[in-house]
Amino acid sequence: MVSINHYLVLATFMFLCGTLGVLFRRNLLLVLMSIELMLNSVNLVFVSGSRLLGNLDGQVMVFFIITVAACEAGVGLAMVIALFRRYGTVDTNFLRILRG
Amino acid sequence: MGLTDLVALLSSDAAIQIIASIVKILIIVVLCLQIPPVMVWAERRAPAMMQRRKGPNRVGIGKFRLYGLLQSAADAVKLIFKEEVVPTGANKVVYHIAPIFSVFTAFLVACAIPYGNDITVFGQQISLSPIRLDVGFLFILAMSSLAVYGVTLAGWASNNKYSLLGSLRASAQMISYEIPLGMSLIPLVIIFGTLDLNKMVIAQSAFPWSWGVVRAPISFFLFFICMFAETNRSPFDLAEGESELVAGFHTEYNSAKFAAFFLSEYVAMFVLSALAATVFFGGWQVPFVPYDLLLKIAFGLDWLAALVGFLFLLLKAGFFMWVYVWVRWTLPRFRYDQLMALGWKFMLPIGLFNLLITALVVAIFDTVTRH
Amino acid sequence: MSQELLFYSFAGLIALCSVMVVTSRNPVISAIFLVGDLFLLAGLYASMEAHFIAAIQILVYAGAIVVLFMFVIMLLNLDPDQRSQVQIAAPEVGVLALTVIAFAVVGGMLVFGQPTGVSGEMTAEAINSAGGNTFTVGMVLYTKYLWPFELASMLIMLAIIASIVIAKKDRPKSATEGDKRRLAHG
Repeated sequence: MVSINHYLVLATFMFLCGTLGVLFRRNLLLVLMSIELMLNSVNLVFVSGSRLLGNLDGQVMVFFIITVAACEAGVGLAMVIALFRRYGTVDTNFLRILRG
Repeated sequence: MGLTDLVALLSSDAAIQIIASIVKILIIVVLCLQIPPVMVWAERRAPAMMQRRKGPNRVGIGKFRLYGLLQSAADAVKLIFKEEVVPTGANKVVYHIAPIFSVFTAFLVACAIPYGNDITVFGQQISLSPIRLDVGFLFILAMSSLAVYGVTLAGWASNNKYSLLGSLRASAQMISYEIPLGMSLIPLVIIFGTLDLNKMVIAQSAFPWSWGVVRAPISFFLFFICMFAETNRSPFDLAEGESELVAGFHTEYNSAKFAAFFLSEYVAMFVLSALAATVFFGGWQVPFVPYDLLLKIAFGLDWLAALVGFLFLLLKAGFFMWVYVWVRWTLPRFRYDQLMALGWKFMLPIGLFNLLITALVVAIFDTVTRH
Repeated sequence: MSQELLFYSFAGLIALCSVMVVTSRNPVISAIFLVGDLFLLAGLYASMEAHFIAAIQILVYAGAIVVLFMFVIMLLNLDPDQRSQVQIAAPEVGVLALTVIAFAVVGGMLVFGQPTGVSGEMTAEAINSAGGNTFTVGMVLYTKYLWPFELASMLIMLAIIASIVIAKKDRPKSATEGDKRRLAHG
């Protein structure tokens, strides 16, 4: 029997991968992809929790998370395109104007 | 292990299901592999007919020319044995993965179509589609939405600007038209109240006035247009517009990998035709002959009835395949901005409106019948 | 037994794909592995009887979101030297926090043990008798979560408008000389 702990360990690993990607990658697109990875690990926890607890609220939550992820990707990629058009790069090292 | 053990193992319930699945998959694969040769032949003879010329009619075995049907076989042999050339600067791994992705998704969708009613073999109920899910409808939409990767990756990996432009066009087009495609099919889900395609076919019954096309004509209209756009076929074949982009995303592909793209395109056409037949034209139902009556005519043999239903599904799908060819040699190509405007400014609003009206009508009908 | 085999093979592949998403140098390869990740996750959801979520996962995530990513990657068509290298200036705090999270999860499991067994009323059998996974999820979604659902539709509307406004081409002025100079000096 696969218990919820199996799923939690897998989800933690995915979340860590995503976080490391956000921290270490300089390409803005890769950062966005890593965020998707983190969202997916949360989805996995929700679905496995939904099965463990025997109610469907978790699956409905996943539905909402996917909606939010779609919005996030759409707006995020639009911003990436706008940034690329203005500065000709999507490297986070160069996008530091607010830092002064 | 003795022979009796083997027989016992093979006749267990799980084994029967597994063997049945393998047989079903083999049949679907063999069927799908036959589509491109026949369609290529049709696509040469049909324009020849329309343009008053002969078309391929020479290739044959000895004196038997079979109306040039063996031309496709010769083409297939040529494609497979051609030398493989990988362009320099291509991303080797992705270049090789892309056609696999294309074929994989096309066949996966073909596996989810209900080819007939459930039959009973050795006391086991077996459905005639290899992938039978209660969300079969969503599965088909999901898998066909993956088809865009084959095109996109092929264009990108070829390291050719025409390929890239073609693939960008194709992927934009496929994403744009997926939305009206889904919008056109949701009213059918509301009307029939199920996501299981086989149940949808059963709900339509054998009589044409209760088929999807009568109950949701606007949906069929939208679906019909999306069928052409989703497969990148004329009049929406901008992705491979010969006069502008050489050949689009598969410019740099040759021999067997080109054949793979060819195959996946025709299988995708077949799948959409079969889906149109399933959702709008009663699928495997024989017109005016309910399944019970069909079963009686077929001496009570359910596999015979299923076979007849399968042939009728092929007939209905075949009609749409013919429409594909017909349209290709009749209509000129769209311009790119026209294509996008049609998708977003015309089809999507109509689809949403249709969805709203259908939902309202179904809700009112339900309330009326309940009281 | 077969379910464990399924889980371990899927979990191994998911872990591999996740690592590859983060570490591959080429964004397109990352996107391909992300698709693999999403596909395998959908498989896991299906093995947990969440068929609707599995289908939606492939339809929306793999079929739309990652395609969008790939589209943008190809549209920008970054020069090879702009393809990202791993950043060396490490935020040590982040790494430390991650280690703490990992230990917290594993420690929590060790302390609280393995919760097994289903306590709620929506077991797999109950769902099947109530009309299938899609039907029951729909019932919950359109009754208990009706207002969040409506809000989500508003959110999508906002996102559509926002992305069109942000990515619109005819902006009044491009980067000024001052902007470029500041960029050049980091």
